[in-house]
Amino acid sequence: MEFKDYYQILGVARDAPADDIKKAYRRLARKYHPDVSKEPDAERKMKELNEANAVLSDPEKRAAYDNVGQSFHAGQEFRPPPNWDAGFEFSDRGFSGAESADFSDFFSELFGSRMGRGSPREHGHFRSRGEDHHAKVLLDLQDAYHGASRTLTLRTPQTDARGHVKLSERALDVRIPKGIHEGQLIRLTGQGSPGHGGGQSGDLYLEVHFKPHTRYRAEGRDVYATLPIAPWEAALGASVKAPVPDGAVEVRIPEGSQSGRKLRLKGRGIPGSTPGDLYLVLEIVLPPASNPKARELYQAMERELNFDPRRGLGA
Amino acid sequence: MAQEHIALLLDDACLTVDELAVSCSVSREWVIEHVQAGVLPAESGADPAQWSFTGRDLLRTRRLFDLERSFDANPELAGLVTDLLDEMERLRVRLRRAGLPPD
Repeated sequence: MEFKDYYQILGVARDAPADDIKKAYRRLARKYHPDVSKEPDAERKMKELNEANAVLSDPEKRAAYDNVGQSFHAGQEFRPPPNWDAGFEFSDRGFSGAESADFSDFFSELFGSRMGRGSPREHGHFRSRGEDHHAKVLLDLQDAYHGASRTLTLRTPQTDARGHVKLSERALDVRIPKGIHEGQLIRLTGQGSPGHGGGQSGDLYLEVHFKPHTRYRAEGRDVYATLPIAPWEAALGASVKAPVPDGAVEVRIPEGSQSGRKLRLKGRGIPGSTPGDLYLVLEIVLPPASNPKARELYQAMERELNFDPRRGLGA
Repeated sequence: MAQEHIALLLDDACLTVDELAVSCSVSREWVIEHVQAGVLPAESGADPAQWSFTGRDLLRTRRLFDLERSFDANPELAGLVTDLLDEMERLRVRLRRAGLPPD
């Protein structure tokens, strides 16, 4: 495990006063806030900043970190010396155990045994519910129609026999029912942190997002799909087979359709108690004028149709 | 084969004030204070026991808490930033819909 220099991460001196640490954290948190930052890797940076701040903004953790860290520098191989934390008492301030799952193994090794739950002697005789966990999951739009099975890998704090907490990875097989839409939350009851003293386990919340798709896009429960059609299908009307997220459907293209026209298929969007609608957005695709016959047909249209799409634009 | 766990869709108002507080690692009082400040949506009625919250409210609560903690922001300022982030996301969706790049 590599030693992490939290002072270097926040860009402050080792003897920086608490106020400077707070200012440095806020300045960098603004720079790397994942919702607005254009910096590459903003999310990873933000986690690193939160971890450094969780230690350096807490006088007890900072003192213990300084005690163990004075003979290490960033990137150096690190093993905490035995009883390195003797004489220090940590309290849990601000960061929950569930959040500390985002922190590094280095953090977990140093402070893991206390995060989110206090020491066993403080909480041993209390019965308390485990914490809820939050994660994001990426699905295909088609999964909203059929439901999906996914195996998620989660990092969660686990308590060993000595009451120490280590981050461990676990795989969870999840069945996601149909009817999910972008940004929706799903809950897995009892899949958060285990409870203490016989208390109930916490829940796992997953925020769902769809992978981008070249033809389909969802807005709430409504789904938009582009439908490429030939010029004569648009001009004369036609019945065509359209691929849709849950298979294919036969649709009637009305005579005289233009690109961008929307055909609504009621109730064929994302399923639910009030299912969404599916909109097929027509896109007229021109056949290439790539051989003499095709060129001749275009030239015949030019001669015969007297068509100027810019008529009336004043050019 | 490992056991497959069934996920529940959190669609409409379905979380109580206590469930919302627990899932966001905040206190019940914190939620009540933020509803009263107008930065979290409230169902009708003054009795918190009757309130219910959606999955979207839960994401908003987590964002508010994160902003307040990171920047020592008061609830109104965190609420304003959250509204602006929501508006930014809405406009990004419109850009995508129009086939335009985000920048």
